[in-house]
Amino acid sequence: MLMYVRLTQMREGERGIVVDIHGGHRARQRLLGMGIAPGTKIVVVKSGRPGPYIIAIGNTRIALGQGVAEKIIVRREL
Amino acid sequence: MVSCCSVEKVPEEKKESLKVIALAGNPNVGKTTIFNALTGLRQHVGNWPGVTVEKKEGIMKYREKEFLVVDLPGTYSLTANSIDELIARNFILSGNADVVVDIVDASCLMRNLFLTMEIFEMGVKKVVIALNKIDIARKRGVRFDVKKMEKILGVPVIPTNAKEGAGVEELKRVIANMAEGKITTNPVIPVYEEPIEREIEHISSLLRGTPLEEMYNIRWLAIKLLTRDQEVIKLVLNYLGPGKMDEILKHISELEVHYKRSLDIVIANQKYEFIDKLMHQFVIHFGEVKETFSDQIDRVLTHPAYGILGLLGVFYVLFKFVFTIGTPMQEFLDNTFASFGEFVAGFIGNEAVRGLIVEGVIGGVGSVLSFFPLVFLLFIAMSVLEDSGYMARAAVVMERIMRKFGLPGKSFIPMVLAFGCNVPAIMATRTLEDERDRILTMLINPLVPCSARMVVITFLAGAFFSDHKALMAVSIYAISLFLALLSALILGKFVIKGEESPFVIELPEYSLPSWKVAVVHSWERSKEFLRKAGTIILLGSVAIWYLSNYPEPIGSGLSYAEKLGKVFEPFTMLMGLDWKAAVSLIFGIIAKENVIATYGIIYGIGESEEALISLMQSAMTGLQAFVLALVTTLYIPCIATIGAIRAEGGNKWALVASAYNLMLASAVGVLVYNIGLLLGF
Repeated sequence: MLMYVRLTQMREGERGIVVDIHGGHRARQRLLGMGIAPGTKIVVVKSGRPGPYIIAIGNTRIALGQGVAEKIIVRREL
Repeated sequence: MVSCCSVEKVPEEKKESLKVIALAGNPNVGKTTIFNALTGLRQHVGNWPGVTVEKKEGIMKYREKEFLVVDLPGTYSLTANSIDELIARNFILSGNADVVVDIVDASCLMRNLFLTMEIFEMGVKKVVIALNKIDIARKRGVRFDVKKMEKILGVPVIPTNAKEGAGVEELKRVIANMAEGKITTNPVIPVYEEPIEREIEHISSLLRGTPLEEMYNIRWLAIKLLTRDQEVIKLVLNYLGPGKMDEILKHISELEVHYKRSLDIVIANQKYEFIDKLMHQFVIHFGEVKETFSDQIDRVLTHPAYGILGLLGVFYVLFKFVFTIGTPMQEFLDNTFASFGEFVAGFIGNEAVRGLIVEGVIGGVGSVLSFFPLVFLLFIAMSVLEDSGYMARAAVVMERIMRKFGLPGKSFIPMVLAFGCNVPAIMATRTLEDERDRILTMLINPLVPCSARMVVITFLAGAFFSDHKALMAVSIYAISLFLALLSALILGKFVIKGEESPFVIELPEYSLPSWKVAVVHSWERSKEFLRKAGTIILLGSVAIWYLSNYPEPIGSGLSYAEKLGKVFEPFTMLMGLDWKAAVSLIFGIIAKENVIATYGIIYGIGESEEALISLMQSAMTGLQAFVLALVTTLYIPCIATIGAIRAEGGNKWALVASAYNLMLASAVGVLVYNIGLLLGF
């Protein structure tokens, strides 16, 4: 199994750590401010095309569209 | 336009002498609840100057002393990427705030402290942290050492549970003392890895000695330059000149090569790591992340199919709530003003004065006030949707569909409401976070046919298409909705600049909304609507009254209105409409249902519907009636809608909306009429 994947490739219930964020300045800054930064631990709550994807960061839940979710690179935690 | 260096002074009046308290914090942290708890019912809702962002101000009283509390827009960070963040950032930078209250959600501290660190980095010293939702954090097993937290962060930390009022008195006391200079603070400043720190020092050395040093915190400017903040780059360029700026940018590129990614990511990452280290010193127990009941509900409510069913259900209730209660109230107010007008008319001898007062002023004020119940109920419904947490889910469900037209999911709400009335619908656009989305949704909103236009459409359908009534009505609706969505695509590409916002939204935990908050806010917001939209509606009514009564009353063929109709006739004839239609359309600007009533007045037959139908049938073909219905639906929004756009978006967008609709209606009218003729109708 791949260790480094896009958020869109994660399955419901899986855990991971954000390692990078691609995409434009604006989308990136929005994600960074919302606590999605390299090093952030996430749990995938809802997954599957065509989105939305829901992730848990601590007690927060964040919904992301397909486009943004593809820009988030995650290291799977097994 | 708001820019980094435009420093807004706290506006107006008596407030000059009051100490200013600014509330900052992430969305969904209970900022509004804290604001209410601090100010009680003494508050005012308006807009930030020049933009469509809501501004709330209120007076806080502590031991006979008054303070002005300004609620900054809720933001996750203070970048230059959204108007909300710029407003909050510029206000803090301006130094107008004597104390900044940073409201943080104790149940997700890590992310909330990111904003805190940004505030600290700006060099703001007088900061109080309200550690809100402390009860929820405790329930989840999170334990803090608040005393230690204060020591480590270097500013006072007050645990609050604003919903229950816990900690609010203490918060007030600390704010008041800090405003009066009785508390000294020493905010902790994030430290980055050595290569970043070295570059911060290098840039700082270039900035020192320039006038910038007097106005801003040098370290903050340096950090913002590293993240390539466009506003700060522009600002610094003014003072350093292109030579030194190029040198700085070269250094930044080198660092980006070193880290193999943009520095905004690197800096955010290191800032979070710094926060993490701080938190380990004062958080005794972090609690567990578990799947909640809320997560299970969300899987259903954000599901592509079930989610839409849920959404339809919620909007059915909302629509019913606003229009079933609001419409009778609106009619009641309308009738009351009509009888009041008649009553007053009895006392005024002079015909001109009587007309002006009864038809112009009382009629005008009446039509403004008659929208109040609808707007007020709408705001209550919106407030409940927001506070309960459902709004974010609705946005998620509609996102994919609306995005095809360049609109965000939430813009669905104003579109639905517009079928009832465009005025509350346009007021509802303020729930959209992004300025571009707000303006775009506002501009296309008048193209969704409201209930007043339904009256015109069904009347003409009944009179001219008795065999195909439904087909005629449906095709008018279909054409205008198609044009609304097409306009969204076109205006979004060419008229309103700015890229589409990426879809990322926090799903706040479901909670019971507070009725008191909903009512107080809706009341203030509706008052703001009256103030802003009222003037234009009133002026419009007086103008139309004048046109239709001078020099001779309408029906004589000599009034200015009829003359104006004849001026426009050569133009409207392009779409097969004569001067009577032109006059009716002018009156339709007051309220679209006037289009039909005006025909009655021109023919001099008053309210007799049957007589009107037969007269109109002899004067018009079916094709002309169809075009009239279509043009009535599409042209200039009614005056109340224009007033609402003006209240939300300002004069510029009210003008753009009117001009755009007029052009669109003309083009479509001419096109449909001529195609119809060619097809032999």
